[in-house]
Amino acid sequence: MKRVMALLLSVVLLAGMLTACSSSTSVSTASESKASDSSAAQTTESGTSAATTEKKGKVTLTFFTGKVETIDVMNEIINAFNASQDRITVVQEYQKDASNVIKIKFASGDVPDIMTTYEQEYADQGKYLDLSGETAIWDRLIPSMKVNCTDINSGKQYRIATNMTMAGLFYNKTIFNELGLTTATTWDQLVSNLQTIKDKKPDVTPWFIFGSEAWHLGHLIEFIPHGYLKQKYGTLEIKKAMLSNDQSILDFGSPTGSMAVFAQNLLDLKDKGLINSDVLTATSDNCVQDFATGKAAMLSNGMWVLSGILAANPDMASQIGFAPYPAYMPDSKPVVLCAEDSGYSISAETKNPQECKEFLTYLFSAENQKKYSEALGAPSGFTDVDAKWAPEAIVTEVNSALKSAVNIGFTNEKPAGFTGDDAGRLVQDLLTGKYTAVTFAEAYKKAWDAGFGS
Amino acid sequence: MIKVKKMGLHTFMAVPAFLLFALFFIYPLTKGVQMSLTDWDGLSPSKFIGFQNFINFFSDDRAMSDIKTTILFAIFSAPLLNIIGLIYALLMNGEFKGKGFARGIIYLPAIISPLIMGYIWYFLLQPERGFLYHALDLFGKSSLLGNWMGQYSSAVMVLVIVNVWQYAGMTMVIYLAGLQSISEELYESARIDGAGTWQIFRYVTLPLLMPSIRINIVTNIIGSLSVFDIVMSLTGGGPGYSTETLSIYIMRMCYGSKTGYSTAVALILFVIILIPVTASMRLTKSKD
Repeated sequence: MKRVMALLLSVVLLAGMLTACSSSTSVSTASESKASDSSAAQTTESGTSAATTEKKGKVTLTFFTGKVETIDVMNEIINAFNASQDRITVVQEYQKDASNVIKIKFASGDVPDIMTTYEQEYADQGKYLDLSGETAIWDRLIPSMKVNCTDINSGKQYRIATNMTMAGLFYNKTIFNELGLTTATTWDQLVSNLQTIKDKKPDVTPWFIFGSEAWHLGHLIEFIPHGYLKQKYGTLEIKKAMLSNDQSILDFGSPTGSMAVFAQNLLDLKDKGLINSDVLTATSDNCVQDFATGKAAMLSNGMWVLSGILAANPDMASQIGFAPYPAYMPDSKPVVLCAEDSGYSISAETKNPQECKEFLTYLFSAENQKKYSEALGAPSGFTDVDAKWAPEAIVTEVNSALKSAVNIGFTNEKPAGFTGDDAGRLVQDLLTGKYTAVTFAEAYKKAWDAGFGS
Repeated sequence: MIKVKKMGLHTFMAVPAFLLFALFFIYPLTKGVQMSLTDWDGLSPSKFIGFQNFINFFSDDRAMSDIKTTILFAIFSAPLLNIIGLIYALLMNGEFKGKGFARGIIYLPAIISPLIMGYIWYFLLQPERGFLYHALDLFGKSSLLGNWMGQYSSAVMVLVIVNVWQYAGMTMVIYLAGLQSISEELYESARIDGAGTWQIFRYVTLPLLMPSIRINIVTNIIGSLSVFDIVMSLTGGGPGYSTETLSIYIMRMCYGSKTGYSTAVALILFVIILIPVTASMRLTKSKD
């Protein structure tokens, strides 16, 4: 009897497993047939998108983002869009580690319809929809936005960026005024300013660097030595040089090149006590807190730090100064980052490209972009959007910095195997004493070259 | 004939278990081995490259440094977990007031997520602004707290201490179960034979604890060699890549579009774990 029962149970279990497999097959078959229906609808589409959607039924689009600061405003806009019609539902998916998570999504075939992440390698592989023909949108944007969004390899635009972001040196105007300091245009002036702060205000950190977060140190490389190269050769030339790893231009490993000089300058600041002594363990939050409470006089960061500083101390609005990175090579000029922000790409694999464009058109309306820019704290790239993205005093500071220095963009043309985070980790090693300035430059070149081989 | 029928029935009854085993172990392992021999980046079609991934691993300075860090961490962490877990168990096996409470307190860290634990310790140990710094500062002793997470040797030790602090309670529970299964009569007869405390421990407790010792050694070796979350939250593998362990390296390589390579490293880690685990299994079995 026991044996019969055991046999029966085994049969039931096995049958259950097979049934589960078969039902899952039927589910996937159903979805496949649905998918093929929808793609059939897409290929035969000749009328309006509404007519297409009617054939497909209600369409759900996934909007994938890594921008934590825009979750709420995007939810607000998405909810309004979903309520405004009954054909398309947009769902927002936020991932903290979005640039890495998107790789998993691409690899597993679970690609979102619209995404804010953009990788050169995916553009090269044709993973994004070509948006070059969206003239109605491009015509509303300032010309430099289109240039910044152009893929060097193909000359096409696979993303539309709606905002600008700037990065430079934030400083405490009250401290500067009290000590009679002016913003530096050369590295020597910067060191002199920092030394004065250290001497006159020993309780204040002259320049706060939060080196526990490798991306921040990577940004220093991005804005200072890479910034120098962009300023010297021009954005387009340097992008080409980076893509082809032309070391006759980049010259990363040279003992007198931009990388070695940057490393030596950083080591000098550390040795003179002009940066925080806990540079390797300090976090972004520590930096914001110290700057907002007057315990730090300067920091390097982008506009995205403003909301944190003002949240920690709203009275800081009139005290925040903004300056370019000073010239640090014999033939260099001050630079300030003025790059595209909030770029949107559509997956080339989406079954609903028209619906994706319809949502983006809604998102890019002047009213929504005003709301978005003010929430993000970044100026809009649309000429018809007048957003109050920061307190007036800060806007004046930023505009003045932009006028006084060479405007540079972000480097999206880095080798796939060498990220900004990797660069930052090399700087961490430099600060622990693992490298001298010269060996740092050599290590940087080696890592850069290896990144191309991966 | 009956034997053959019995065999057939038994084989048939093992089919569901075998299918599950094949689906969740043999298939992924085979797929992993296959993948490790390719240059797959997670997106493009893969190309067979033989053992190139393995050659690349052993010629990568960062990978070699990660092996060193992983092994160094395990060499300190696994024995300490066992020794401290055993000491806790011996103390907690006695009769005293508040025993349940004390056991709970020791076990408590084990139920907290290691990621959260890492962040808690980060805020405790952060130089010049952490809790310990301010506490010591009250007594004018803040200089005692160094920049432990900013230097390689001290950062590894901090990682070991936090790991031991978190998981010693778990080791203790297994030892306690072993201790409680030893009959009191054996202790009594040892005492009658004139055995002292050390002799009782050496010749009665320790041999009979061997199954618990084996479980703890094996699980602690596996846990220590594959450590991920505490390192990720406490040092992020830094400064630089100095405290990066192999598990973190695998994750970063996988995210860095080196899927084939990261699978090869995962197989290498599997072998690295297998060697001490097999050795300790054999050793403790012979002691049985």
